[in-house]
Amino acid sequence: MLITEKPHSLISNFEAVRELLGLTGPESLRAVREAALAKFAEAGIPTTRDEEFKYLPLNRLRETEYVPSYGATLSEDDLRGMPLKTLDGPCLTIVNGEFAPELSNVSGLPNGVRVRALSEALEQHEGLVMRHLGKIATHEGKLGTTNDERFTHLNTAYMAEGVYVFVAKGVMVEPTIHLRLITQADHGTIAVHPRVVIELEEGAAAKIVESYHGLGGESFTNVVHEIALGANANLEYVKSQTEGGSTIHIANQYVDQKDGSVFTSNQVAFGAAISRTDLNVFVDGEHTETSLNGAYLGQGEQIIDNHTRIDHAKPNCHSFEVYKGILDDRSVGVFNGKIFVYEDAQKTDAKQTNQALLLSANATINTKPQLEIFADDVKCTHGATVGQIRDEALFYLRSRGIPEMDARGLLVYAFAAEVLEKISIDVVREALEAELYRRLNRD
Amino acid sequence: MLQIQNLHASVEDKTILNGVNLTINPGEVHAIMGPNGSGKSTLASILAGRDGYDISEGSATYLGEDLLEMDPEVRAAKGLFLAFQYPVEIPGVSNTYFLRAAVNAVRKQRGESDMDAMEFMKFIREKIKILDLDPSLLNRSVNEGFSGGEKKRNEIFQMAALEPKMCILDETDSGLDIDALKVVSDGVNALRSPERGFLVITHYQRLLNYIVPDYVHVLVDGRIVRSGDKTLAYELEEKGYGWIEESLAGAK
Repeated sequence: MLITEKPHSLISNFEAVRELLGLTGPESLRAVREAALAKFAEAGIPTTRDEEFKYLPLNRLRETEYVPSYGATLSEDDLRGMPLKTLDGPCLTIVNGEFAPELSNVSGLPNGVRVRALSEALEQHEGLVMRHLGKIATHEGKLGTTNDERFTHLNTAYMAEGVYVFVAKGVMVEPTIHLRLITQADHGTIAVHPRVVIELEEGAAAKIVESYHGLGGESFTNVVHEIALGANANLEYVKSQTEGGSTIHIANQYVDQKDGSVFTSNQVAFGAAISRTDLNVFVDGEHTETSLNGAYLGQGEQIIDNHTRIDHAKPNCHSFEVYKGILDDRSVGVFNGKIFVYEDAQKTDAKQTNQALLLSANATINTKPQLEIFADDVKCTHGATVGQIRDEALFYLRSRGIPEMDARGLLVYAFAAEVLEKISIDVVREALEAELYRRLNRD
Repeated sequence: MLQIQNLHASVEDKTILNGVNLTINPGEVHAIMGPNGSGKSTLASILAGRDGYDISEGSATYLGEDLLEMDPEVRAAKGLFLAFQYPVEIPGVSNTYFLRAAVNAVRKQRGESDMDAMEFMKFIREKIKILDLDPSLLNRSVNEGFSGGEKKRNEIFQMAALEPKMCILDETDSGLDIDALKVVSDGVNALRSPERGFLVITHYQRLLNYIVPDYVHVLVDGRIVRSGDKTLAYELEEKGYGWIEESLAGAK
């Protein structure tokens, strides 16, 4: 007897939105979407037998029936509990994968800076967007034997809405650009696939803060980023993930760095039931700097999985990476840090650190540094530690009069706050510190 | 204020303190000198409440209460302060935040209200001048990336901020150049008062040129073998610890 499995809703939903998606962007994107869907359908939802998902059980994703996303009407009042509600600067908001103009204000940006909904950007300057759309988000032609891009393909299949940020040559954007991606899934279990495209041309500089926030219901966020940094461009990027407790959040971020560019990423993951971020930086220029900082907190049964990958394809580049996580209750943390040093990438200097603090006997961390080096004159170091609170530090605080419970709380907080300190935007750092403190105290 | 009687202590079955007797009254400055491994730092750690020591015999009473029964934070709140030999780095906790938490914890014990942020900054800016510390250190993480001298000055700065009754300085002079030693000593001397007791632990007499003690005790093999006034320190400097050890051997 032949059993034909019914395709998963993430695949079958495409039928219903195919024509709608086709209205956005150039005609050529239709075929791109179809091909991507076919690739995802072939790969399917991964299991823990798939190398790149070894520690990430996605049964919940497999067993959930999703409906295509639709917008929700929200007001600023609905966002009250959001840790990074407003930065009082340019702000663009996406609600359930759709652009929310009533919650966006991108006026007052200098000439040469465009912050738009992706669909709008494709209408207004298709050529500019298409320079990078679909071109950066791929591992094709790169090293790696276990490259797995199925969720990128899934996003590409549904690609239509998202965010487009463009900073022209030499323009330094003073105010922080705030992108808010919100899900409100009280009326149906939705899947959203936003695509974020960011281009900083030669010598441009910007600070971009992205906050993901859930306002209820069960949902699946599957976002893909394509970030192009021209020569000597400088981007400080913050991703704050405080999605709702029933959400699955998967992010595949691809960054392409040219000569002399500086990329600083600060990733904060406090929310979602399952969160997985693949941050891939392809260093395609000399004398670049790449700093990847990450802080995460797992409570209850949360699973937080961070995969980072730096491709050092050119010589004389520096990368510095530190990820720190606090894991309590029955939560699970995963860290996989890949560094590829290509044959030509002499004088690469790469440093990777990841540390986890386990607060409960039932919390787990799976950590794997993965360095593959094909050049001979390089400096690459990595270190992983798993531990509890340092007795020495605890005694020091207590000897100054701070009660044991408070001293423990302070040290746990400080463990992750050390990473948050690297965020240069004061209001953002302070808001995230407050959010960490609030969550640790289970307010 | 502090009475130590016949104190015996060991770590993992190794005896370190072997019957220490010492009484410190308010206003007095006592120095304990001794060779390496004589138990000086162990004594300081036990008085501050560090875990890991077995007290097999003897007692320590502070302000009429059993000191050894108190948690470290209770000792601190009651005015006992240890300046660490190796101050601990705490990344992620700013010096200001830490100090304010400490000052307010101690104030609470004294029945005083919390200082608000403004009040506290004013208070702290005055104290920091005394120690000649760069105010930017206040915004940095506790001791992180501080030089050896900065760490020691930070200890005395904390002492000044917490206004303790009984101050224990554990080899505060180690790793200090002469200028830093002078700054630290001035900071300590500024805190000398008829209500406050000091126990200054050091290997070298040098520190005692700056912080002049009322009493000097020599600790050898976990026991105070000789006590005297400051001249005992000069004698030790001149003749070395070997002299004491030899004279002890001769007496046996």
